[in-house]
Amino acid sequence: MALDNLVVTPPPHLKSKEQTAIAMRDVLIALAPISIAALVAFTYNALFNMAVCVGSAMFFEWAVRKMRKKKVTLSDGSAAVTGLLLALLLPAKIHWLNMIIASFVAVVIAKELLGGLGRNLFNPALFGFVFIWIGSGFLASWTGHLGFLPGGFDGVQAATPLAYLKQGLEGPVPSYAALLFANYGGAISEVGCFWVLLGGGYLLYRKVINWVIPTTILATVFILAYILGSDGLYQILAGGVMLGAFFMATDWVTSPINRWGQVVFGLIIGILIVLIRVYGAPSGAVAYSILIGNAFVPLLDKVFKPKRFGEVVAA
Amino acid sequence: MAELKTFKGGIHPPYNKELASGKAIKEAPVPREVVIPLQQHIGAPCEPLVSEGDRVELGQKIGEAQAFVSAPVHSSVAGTVKAITEVANFTGAKVKSVVIEADPSQPEFSKKPGKDLEALTAEEIREIAKEAGLVGMGGAAFPTHVKLSPPADKPVDTVIINACECEPFLTCDHRLMLERTDDLVAGARLLKAAVGASKVIFGVEANKMDAADALRSRASSYPDVEVEILEVKYPEGAEKMLIFALTGRKVPPGKLPSEVGCLVQNVGTALALYEAAAWGKPLYERVLTVTGPGVREPANLMARIGTPIATLIEACGGFVGNPVKLIMGGPMTGWAQPDTSAAVVKGTSGVVVLTSDVVDLGEEGECVRCGKCVDACPMFLSPNFIVQAAKRGQWDKAEMWGALDCFECGCCSYECPAYIPHVDYVRKAKAEIAALKKK
Ligand code: SF4
Ligand code: SF4
Repeated sequence: MALDNLVVTPPPHLKSKEQTAIAMRDVLIALAPISIAALVAFTYNALFNMAVCVGSAMFFEWAVRKMRKKKVTLSDGSAAVTGLLLALLLPAKIHWLNMIIASFVAVVIAKELLGGLGRNLFNPALFGFVFIWIGSGFLASWTGHLGFLPGGFDGVQAATPLAYLKQGLEGPVPSYAALLFANYGGAISEVGCFWVLLGGGYLLYRKVINWVIPTTILATVFILAYILGSDGLYQILAGGVMLGAFFMATDWVTSPINRWGQVVFGLIIGILIVLIRVYGAPSGAVAYSILIGNAFVPLLDKVFKPKRFGEVVAA
Repeated sequence: MAELKTFKGGIHPPYNKELASGKAIKEAPVPREVVIPLQQHIGAPCEPLVSEGDRVELGQKIGEAQAFVSAPVHSSVAGTVKAITEVANFTGAKVKSVVIEADPSQPEFSKKPGKDLEALTAEEIREIAKEAGLVGMGGAAFPTHVKLSPPADKPVDTVIINACECEPFLTCDHRLMLERTDDLVAGARLLKAAVGASKVIFGVEANKMDAADALRSRASSYPDVEVEILEVKYPEGAEKMLIFALTGRKVPPGKLPSEVGCLVQNVGTALALYEAAAWGKPLYERVLTVTGPGVREPANLMARIGTPIATLIEACGGFVGNPVKLIMGGPMTGWAQPDTSAAVVKGTSGVVVLTSDVVDLGEEGECVRCGKCVDACPMFLSPNFIVQAAKRGQWDKAEMWGALDCFECGCCSYECPAYIPHVDYVRKAKAEIAALKKK
């Protein structure tokens, strides 16, 4: 009997079915409902955006890894996830070059270069999005149009549900049901948070994420909004809160690793979302809040380092 | 159903016990030649008591050390010493070993006249354990008489018999509980007497209810013996986990079970102590499980110490399928072998052969911080950060994240989606930290 195939590796010799690539595939599956809803609402615009973002994210990942002589890990699907999330965060009408810039910032800067010694601090998709968002708003004051190029951001000029809330509710306010199922401007993912919830449920079911971060964020936003005299339910249904809570704040790489760290992380994000929305700008609150939350992760990991088995807390 | 006793963390790998759990223990063939390492235990290596060309009898002591933390070794056959030389053991390390050519016909072991076990003093039991070369037979191979001598200021009130057999595939302890119930209970009570404890608890995982029932019916005649059922979870049989599950006591980091008044021994050791005390039999053979999808007829075998894997596999009908992992020990903590030459030692609980269809040799990727290793770690360490620190050579940080408390159960790597071999990094970190501390 040939024994030429024997391999000698350190223990353990058994392995669960967990694989990074499978988890990323699950995230893509979980993003399917909201992506389809976006495609239905924005048809070829959404399709074009998704193709550009996913394609460029994958290209940049491949290129930067090659250049830095690291193993190309496209097959694990994380670049595709970053690209799709980015597309979902952006409005339907946006110049393609803006998307490529955002994608470059997300993958090359946020993921690879700010990654340094093995991990990136900020959620890449959000980082790319905020870069283009702030950058283009800034540029608008110079060039008179949104975005780095003419024909930039049409979508955002329409009144989004959050603008209604902020600007004293002129005209018909979208109902809760409309927020759950219908299309209300802003990002292409703001086409009904029911579809986001559906995907979030799948991620929970598949144990890709746990309930701690989404629940803490949603509960914090809900309660704090009421305390500050805003409509809590409306606040969690409108804008990107659901997408942020289930898909971005839960990003493994950029969220705390321990339960209590996750709770505090969720609290920080939830509080910031409400404060920014109520006292600051109506849009982008979720993105800013999560990125600020990301910055606290290394600290949270240290502070909430698990107590070793049998360790006595110093009196 | 009421919640079974257990610990926090851990994993539920596929157990595959059914391959061998129904197979009664049988004698493995005596090989033509046995290789008996002079160090099979944690502690000082033995000096050989025989030389090349000497005749040796079955059970004759052939190696001994002066040090307290050590255990003598005995010949597992009647035969002639062929050589005393360095041989690679199952870990690949070169260990001075006695190579004995076995006589073609082997004698039966002649039991010494029975002693009154109830009359033995603690000191006598420790001496018996030492003379018989007893070590922990679950894998760690710590000399038993040392464990039976806890510090005077740390009295032991509870002896725990690790009857979990939480490693997947292995079934030899299960068989011993079924086939040798009475002797096992007697051995456990000897352990109790040796440390002056007030009771013995058998901790049995719920997948061995037949064994638990057998133990219970025997234990009913002794008020000081209890049998507890534990959740089926790996690593339920790890010393600290088991003590916690059964008594709620937590052994502090870096401390021994005696710190909380406990002594843990596994089933094989308790039985070996009985055989040593009642029959005068030294530890020269042991029961182990040869199993896995790569073995034609999985079995529980009584094998002589020093038997090469090849002999055992042959006794089980040879290999089947495409074997890619040949493991000495259990699949979670055992050592992968490059060939079938390694010899059985006192701590060998099994030989597991895994085939290409069940082995997942994923490539090590980057940590994605999913936290699954942290959730799985029964010691509540941060395996991902230990690895991160080890990769950067920051040994102080590796220690801070708990490298020294890791007992290498492998739960972290089992769950890791990035195929990170934490245990490998931990071993490196432990060695580096130890080297730094010496300076
Ligand atoms: S299980 Fe693996 S990938 Fe997940 S945090 Fe631990 S080391 Fe990283
Ligand atoms: S870090 Fe050590 S103790 Fe913790 S799960 Fe991994 S191997 Fe087991």
